[in-house]
Amino acid sequence: MTKQAVGTNRNAFFSLSASLSRKCRKGARRGVMLLLCTLLAFCFCACSSQRELNTLAIVLGIGLDAGDQPDTLELTAQVVKASELGSGGSTRRSEFGSKAYVNLSYTDDSMLAAVRELTRTQNRRLYFSHNEVLIFSSDLAKKDMAEGLDAFTRDSETRMNVYVLIAKGKASEILEEEAELEKIPALHISGMMGNQQVNSETAVVTLRDFEIATLSGSTAPVAPMIESFESEGKKHVKLEGTAVFKQGKMIGTLDKAQTMGLQWVTNKIKSGQKTVNTPWGQVTLEILHSKSSLKPVKDGDGTVRMQLIVNEEGAIQSNETGKDMSRLENVEMLKELMKNAIRSDIESSLRQARALSADVFGFGDAIRREYPEEWEKMKKNWNMEFPKIDMDIELNVELRSTDELTKPVVPGGAQ
Amino acid sequence: MKLKRGSISRKDLIFSVFCFMQGTVLRSGFIISVTRQESWVMAITGLLLSLPILAVYVKLLGNFPGKNLVEINEAVFGPVFGKILSALYLFFFVSLAALNTRDLGNFVVGFMMPETPLAAVVLIFLIGCAYALHKGVENLMHLSALLCIVAGGAVLVNSILILKDVQPEFLKPLFRLEFPKFVQGTVSVAAVPMGEILTFTMIAPMLEKDEKAAKPLLFGLILSAVSMAIVILRDIITLGPLVTVVSLPSFESVRYVSLAGILTRMESIYAAVLVTLFLFKVSILLYAFVLGLTQILSGKDRPQANPEDEGQSCETERTRSQISAPPLMLISVAFVFFYSLFVFESVMENINWGATAAPFFSLTFEFLLPAISLLTVCVRKTGKARRVKA
Repeated sequence: MTKQAVGTNRNAFFSLSASLSRKCRKGARRGVMLLLCTLLAFCFCACSSQRELNTLAIVLGIGLDAGDQPDTLELTAQVVKASELGSGGSTRRSEFGSKAYVNLSYTDDSMLAAVRELTRTQNRRLYFSHNEVLIFSSDLAKKDMAEGLDAFTRDSETRMNVYVLIAKGKASEILEEEAELEKIPALHISGMMGNQQVNSETAVVTLRDFEIATLSGSTAPVAPMIESFESEGKKHVKLEGTAVFKQGKMIGTLDKAQTMGLQWVTNKIKSGQKTVNTPWGQVTLEILHSKSSLKPVKDGDGTVRMQLIVNEEGAIQSNETGKDMSRLENVEMLKELMKNAIRSDIESSLRQARALSADVFGFGDAIRREYPEEWEKMKKNWNMEFPKIDMDIELNVELRSTDELTKPVVPGGAQ
Repeated sequence: MKLKRGSISRKDLIFSVFCFMQGTVLRSGFIISVTRQESWVMAITGLLLSLPILAVYVKLLGNFPGKNLVEINEAVFGPVFGKILSALYLFFFVSLAALNTRDLGNFVVGFMMPETPLAAVVLIFLIGCAYALHKGVENLMHLSALLCIVAGGAVLVNSILILKDVQPEFLKPLFRLEFPKFVQGTVSVAAVPMGEILTFTMIAPMLEKDEKAAKPLLFGLILSAVSMAIVILRDIITLGPLVTVVSLPSFESVRYVSLAGILTRMESIYAAVLVTLFLFKVSILLYAFVLGLTQILSGKDRPQANPEDEGQSCETERTRSQISAPPLMLISVAFVFFYSLFVFESVMENINWGATAAPFFSLTFEFLLPAISLLTVCVRKTGKARRVKA
């Protein structure tokens, strides 16, 4: 009896302890899971390395000018004021009397120093992830752009698809324009750059494109130029021409026609127009499609020359002559005139590039890809070799349509 | 929990190999800086060079069916010398785990959370690995198919989205690489991502009894090589000469994606996929280390009592060991945590190691030691050959 009781007690004790141990284990497991969840919560952006929206100064445009002192640069950051982004669409002051942006400037030895020094005057930290444009003043571009390029590529916040522009004059003044249709000048400039494919008269260059050309060693990087002008008492900006670089410094420019010539050679023409002079007046031809191919060819004597083939398709966009331009002989005449206009642009840009001894077209890279042995001989003396390279130009122009009119609208034209 | 044969299928093994390699494939900067626009060729030549290495593993595994690398070492070299050799392999596995953990930490801190201490990132990452292994390595491997689809899909989607910004002429001139650099690139690819398939010699015995590990491992490698070639090609034609100066070419090319101003900032997908792939890889490496450690420390070579294996002498002989979630896990994780923190002082040191010493370090364990084992097997005629004779 007693033995039985002891046995029962022992069993009860073991089952109790087993149950307790199970409960303890369950509790411990829950505790560990809770601890894990708490630890994982630190990974969320709200806890670790958090950047709250109301502590950020979101930068949409950057202007870089040469500083007053040697080896200094002036950083101008265009920061959006979200509270002022209401209705309406211009950079004019809102009903509360302030603009939707503020330009913060600081001059220091380096980019990072200027960015950090700005925190001594501002309560928000600059945030570059949404930056759209990077504008260098031509003065700085003529001295050295390496500092800005390196800093904006190296930093993890910045991106390589920002547009690079060169300001005629001060970059900070470009960011002070009074745009009619946008509240933020940087967004206005970025939008303009996005639209340039409709006229193809501006070289659209991102930070990636610029750096690829810089790293190439033979190709001369280019960047579009932007200038500020006053009209009816307001500051406006316009894109005009192209800056040409060599060894990291700006050495010259291309005008509008030369820029278009560059675009023809580098297969960047998407759309646009050309106005040609006929014996009876002007006709405007629209560029619908274009495809260029540039390749080096080797002559029998071993000299390398470039061969450019441009295939262009267009349409008659306007006719001021009063003549029927849909007649086949007139179509042939217009095609010839278009060819002449394209050839003129290309030859003009080639002359300017030779004068600057700057391979803006990427001849060197094309030769390196197709004839690596020849390139090894040429690359040491490329500055002297480039102006001597000939280019054959083959133009194939087609006029596909006369748009929605077959004959011009002139008085009595129906009879 | 003991693992039986058949815990994983051939498909699991193929996808696991792919996921294991893909973490390194997405960090292809180490190879592109050396072999420039011809790096994609290295994926193919590296694969070809890794085939003899794979053949050695397959031959070893074939000679000792059902045994993993540590067990093979004991069978070939005896309990003492075999354990010493196994300890060298374990050092390799744990070093790889620490190096990959450090790489992950450097990526997260460098590109996403610059103000977070490295130790915090590494610790939380390793807790994730420990948890994954606690749930069983076979479950992790079952998930590899899903992970493979996600990782492959991310590469595909990102590659399609960047198509409008690529310039295929960046690939030219073709086949102009100097011979020493070609050798360096091929050896680096064969040693660093591909040779790490050695880890799977600890896992292959989980396959079905009649399954050979050769085909799944080979298919896994081929899949990885194809993926590596695609990723490197995409990076080269997107970034051109920039590909040789940026630290993470894949990250930079994915960052460039911008479609109509809406589909942008795709690098977040890349980062999520990369972290998950690293978690997979480090978990597998940790498993190989912990399993080997358990086996080395478990004393005599005795068959484990397993009710399901009763009466199946061949089965019990084999399965001493494929343990799903081996003990010593937490202490191993703690070890990897500290190891990864002091393995390099800086990212620069890490890159320098990757470009210079890493292939030699890896090949010692991936090729030299297994080749010696195989040679010994052939000379002494141990393993399957001897049993057949008997």
